[in-house]
Amino acid sequence: MSRPRKPTGIRTDSRQHEEDTRLAGVIEIGTTSMRLVIAQIHSDGTIKTLESLQQPVTLGKDTFLTGEISRGTSEDCVSALRNFARILREYRVSPGAVRAVATSAVREAANRDAFLDRISIATGLDVELLDEGEVNRFTYLAVRSSLDEEPALRDANVLVVEAGGGSMQALMFRAGKVSHAHTYRLGSLRLRTTGQEFGAPAQHMRDIMINQIDSVLTQIKNELPLNRATELLIFGGDARFAAGLLARDGETSPAPRSSAGPAENKQAGTACFSAKSLNALTSKVLLLSVNEAVRKYHMSYPEAETLGPAMLIHNRLCEELGLKHVRIGNATLRDGILMEIAGGTSWSGDFARQVVNSALEIGRKYNFDSVHAERTASFARQLFRAMRDEHRLGDRHETLLGVAALLHNIGLFVNNRSHHKHSMYLIMNCDIFGLSSMDLHITALVARYHRRAVPSRSHTEYAALDRENRMVVSKLAAILRIADAISGNKEDGPFEEELNISFGPGRIILAIPNSGDLTLERLNLREKGAMFQQVYGLHVEVRNAGSN
Amino acid sequence: MIKSRPNYINRELSWLEFNQRVLNEALDPSVPLLERLNFLSITASNLDEFFMVRVGGLESLVAEGVTRPDPAGMTPSQQLKAVCARVKTMAAAQYACYHDVLIPKLTDADIRQLNAGLLATEQRDYFRTVFKEEILPVATPMTVNPDEPFPYMAGLTLALAVRIAAENSKSRERFALIPFGRNMNRFIPCPSDSGYRYILLEDLTQMFVEDFFPGVRILETAAFRITRNADMSVNEDDAADFLAEMRQVLRARRQSKCVRLEIAGAASDRMTAFLGKSLDAPDHAIYRLPGPIDLSAFRTIASISGFERLKYESWQPQPTPELDIRKSMFAQVAEKSVVLFHPYDSYDPVVRLIEEAARDPNVLAIKQVLYRTGADSSIVAALRNAAERGKYVTAVVELKARFDEARNIEWARMLAQSGVQVIYGVKGLKVHAKVCVIVRREGKGIVRYVHFGTGNYNERTARLYSDVSYISCADDLGVDASAFFNAVCGYSEARKYRKIFSAPVGLREKVLDLIAGEAERKRQGQKAFIMAKVNSLTHPDVIAALYEASKAGVKIMLNVRGICSLRPGVPGLSDNINVVSIVDRFLEHSRILYFHHGGDEKVFISSADWMTRNLDRRIELLVPVDNPVCRKRLISDLETFFKDSVKSYWLLPDGRYERTRPAGRRRLLRSQELLWTRAKERAKSAHPAAGSVFEPYKAPDSAANR
Repeated sequence: MSRPRKPTGIRTDSRQHEEDTRLAGVIEIGTTSMRLVIAQIHSDGTIKTLESLQQPVTLGKDTFLTGEISRGTSEDCVSALRNFARILREYRVSPGAVRAVATSAVREAANRDAFLDRISIATGLDVELLDEGEVNRFTYLAVRSSLDEEPALRDANVLVVEAGGGSMQALMFRAGKVSHAHTYRLGSLRLRTTGQEFGAPAQHMRDIMINQIDSVLTQIKNELPLNRATELLIFGGDARFAAGLLARDGETSPAPRSSAGPAENKQAGTACFSAKSLNALTSKVLLLSVNEAVRKYHMSYPEAETLGPAMLIHNRLCEELGLKHVRIGNATLRDGILMEIAGGTSWSGDFARQVVNSALEIGRKYNFDSVHAERTASFARQLFRAMRDEHRLGDRHETLLGVAALLHNIGLFVNNRSHHKHSMYLIMNCDIFGLSSMDLHITALVARYHRRAVPSRSHTEYAALDRENRMVVSKLAAILRIADAISGNKEDGPFEEELNISFGPGRIILAIPNSGDLTLERLNLREKGAMFQQVYGLHVEVRNAGSN
Repeated sequence: MIKSRPNYINRELSWLEFNQRVLNEALDPSVPLLERLNFLSITASNLDEFFMVRVGGLESLVAEGVTRPDPAGMTPSQQLKAVCARVKTMAAAQYACYHDVLIPKLTDADIRQLNAGLLATEQRDYFRTVFKEEILPVATPMTVNPDEPFPYMAGLTLALAVRIAAENSKSRERFALIPFGRNMNRFIPCPSDSGYRYILLEDLTQMFVEDFFPGVRILETAAFRITRNADMSVNEDDAADFLAEMRQVLRARRQSKCVRLEIAGAASDRMTAFLGKSLDAPDHAIYRLPGPIDLSAFRTIASISGFERLKYESWQPQPTPELDIRKSMFAQVAEKSVVLFHPYDSYDPVVRLIEEAARDPNVLAIKQVLYRTGADSSIVAALRNAAERGKYVTAVVELKARFDEARNIEWARMLAQSGVQVIYGVKGLKVHAKVCVIVRREGKGIVRYVHFGTGNYNERTARLYSDVSYISCADDLGVDASAFFNAVCGYSEARKYRKIFSAPVGLREKVLDLIAGEAERKRQGQKAFIMAKVNSLTHPDVIAALYEASKAGVKIMLNVRGICSLRPGVPGLSDNINVVSIVDRFLEHSRILYFHHGGDEKVFISSADWMTRNLDRRIELLVPVDNPVCRKRLISDLETFFKDSVKSYWLLPDGRYERTRPAGRRRLLRSQELLWTRAKERAKSAHPAAGSVFEPYKAPDSAANR
């Protein structure tokens, strides 16, 4: 392969190229394809896609059928990535502006480390493995604009799903807020391969798949208030492909309840179709063999393998919800990553609020004391912000601290005794929208250390963390203890109170407004302040705001 | 009358009618004499290719025993028979034109072909010297030995067969062959006081043929030539090294079967039988010609200098007022999209765009499809220059462009040596799209400049073929062009494009959709109208869609230069369809489509003809021209072709073509002349008076003047 010689004539005229735009690249190693997006990000945050490439690979098939990625597939990925790298070089996108991520097909492969190592050596790309929470986070970022811009969706209860090859993400939005976020082991490739393992004849495949879908659906119904969903918004490559087919056949149906405007809202990137047409197309696609689908729809083999099962999942959901129409969205995981690149971190503002919303849902599920929880969370955050110079942690950790504060007592649901430990494993094993498994792990430990023993290397969960994250846990838990100590258990007290925080030599002074008698708080602090002093070297004093 | 099924005209017979229209130009007294000779030579070279590819294809089908009829209902053997019959008539017409019209007129014009028997002594002496010095040392006679394989005869190469008398009563008569190399001059000029005198190579050789065979008696000599079947392609599935495989096809083509044996008419039956048998030519493939073989060679005479009065007046390509080639192409295209109609509008802006891209420090990448591009092309030079300057240059070089393969291999290697990434086409599909995209970094970010064309990136043919260029930096077109290259280079699956459509997936569907759309509009009582200009129309689905539209009442105007399998004007089927064909000095080559589309007029340019091979087996593009100014211009140019009353023919329902005549008392209109006049006027209006600053023609950018 020929390579251009060293650039000689390339120079940048700085006046002409005032840098109000920058280029970014996102590579996604997915279940059925490798994708590259190159986008131009403008200073106002708008994103313009310059290139969008897609190369079919059979990663999902390998992982979900055999448990690991075959050498052939691995080499296919390397060759696709090399081509992507050339396009990135053509645009002079600097390696630092490229983010490469991989999802479940790689994450779940037994040989994922060897695979990633091969990619890194062959292409120089360091691939991030996204877990379910991170995928949720990027999906949310990408989906949010669709929800904001589509009037029918803004105030509705919307179930947002993306059925991938191995798993299905489900987000429930209530009036624009995330109320639930779960990931289910229900994927198009899993469905297809299970059917094939049993050697089911083609005509029975559909029934076998429906059977499987329904068993997961039962689980979904336990966890999500499906009966409240009035809109179903579907994302993902298969759905987009189906939307293309439906639109071609003129199946777009006018969006209900938004009397004016075309059925396709281009900006929001969603299109509305009747449930009937989705059902009809699903049946049609399922009757085709993979070969037939490839020929008929001019799609790649990996795509053809997932299209039918994915559509069946969507179709069953639509039936279950009893909806007459579905919406299919254009947004992708890549869009979400680009938005994060464009907007800096996503751990502030709206996204963080959605994480909190999701945590509140969990709290409600375990009958938490919402007043105490929210008051603790509020105090914890105020302390966190006031102590930025002390802990030097960022927005993400503030959110994790907030979640830990909200949920620190949910272990009471199990038992009063050792409830901090119950809180830990409940948090560790729940789905909180937007949080990765590492995020959950840290959050759970912070909640655990809100009382009793301080972190110790003899605690397995704590010891599993690296040094940096162990420090994070200690720093956050120390703050949580203080916040908890001063929040009391008043059920009627206002909780949106502003602490007045000041620093003195070797101490931090917390003035609590309208607090009246602070004896209880001081008593609590005697027990809980020690860790704080140990971590930050500061003694904690509380005062009644307004009384000196 | 072309005999075939009512709704469909056989494509081979339709093509032969096209060749007849070219021949008509050779017969047209209003065409300058040497141009007429040139048209005659074109008909001959057209037929050469027709035999190699089309007749070769039919022969292969017949040999394989295929009897499946074509859409017109003719089996391969029926087609072959009809084709041979038509070619025989055509050959007769070609030689009648040559002997009865052109040669006498050329003689009148003092361009004389000398007859070996009527030479003056000094002429004979002169030619004897030429023979001794230039022919005898080069040409090598080969004796045919009945016990050995017959000597290899290259396709389309002229040769002389010699019958030699038996030496004694015991031996038999013998044959020998004298092949003429391709680089030997067919026309040997003779000095003269005035005009131009020449003798044909074979006549000269015949005069002195004994010199090759001293001491034997020569009974007879006859010029002949064979045409070999070239209908074969690379087995791409097994081709590990496509370049090597392509070279093998070229070798295989040299050995393939004879599909035509042409023998100069004076040959005896004995000679003819000998050649036919030896070269394995069936009777139907033997053509005894009443004149010199290979009339295509006469293009050499048609282009001799000093006889400008016998040629077309020069129609210089005009500078387009929208693009000043002294200024930056990028800056100008950034202001507006531009449509160019070559060769009326000069091709220079296209070359300039790519040359400028090669030099511009802000250009990051250039990607281009090259198909039938010459090695001496400025565009190829610019691409090499760009790569040498560190830009990412990708050239998709279609090696499979028929009969250009050898040349393509050569300069593709040159490009690669300069650092250009060369993609040798796509497995199973010919890349026929004409597109170039230039990625440039500008103040407001990345901007892509695209050129879409209907003709190849070939500056020479851009002066002879009429083609459209569309240059734009519209965002959607840039995204699409990049995506197109990603697909062709195998970097990405083919994705749905924003604006353009590509064959083999999507283009045909879009065309059918647009036609059906007009039909539906008409059914609903709206106005509907289709105009299309393509080189050939054979795709059964497109024809069926056009018939349906016609039945719905849509008025359809088609300008189909060559093959047209659609039968227009058939009551109840195609009453509303008119087909015209224009054959004039420039080869009509552009593809422009117009759809009324309920008043929201849609205009497209395309690389694709409406043939099965283009729409289903090639990578082609259909590009909307959305810029209102460009669109208006193309509509107006397209309409011009249907008003032609000089160089235009109507296709009649029975498959014949009839010259159009101006309706009523309208003035004669020659479309190519009108388009050129318009281009001239536009150029003049942009530069009303000659300025005081001369515009020298500068040498192309090179190291010396940088």
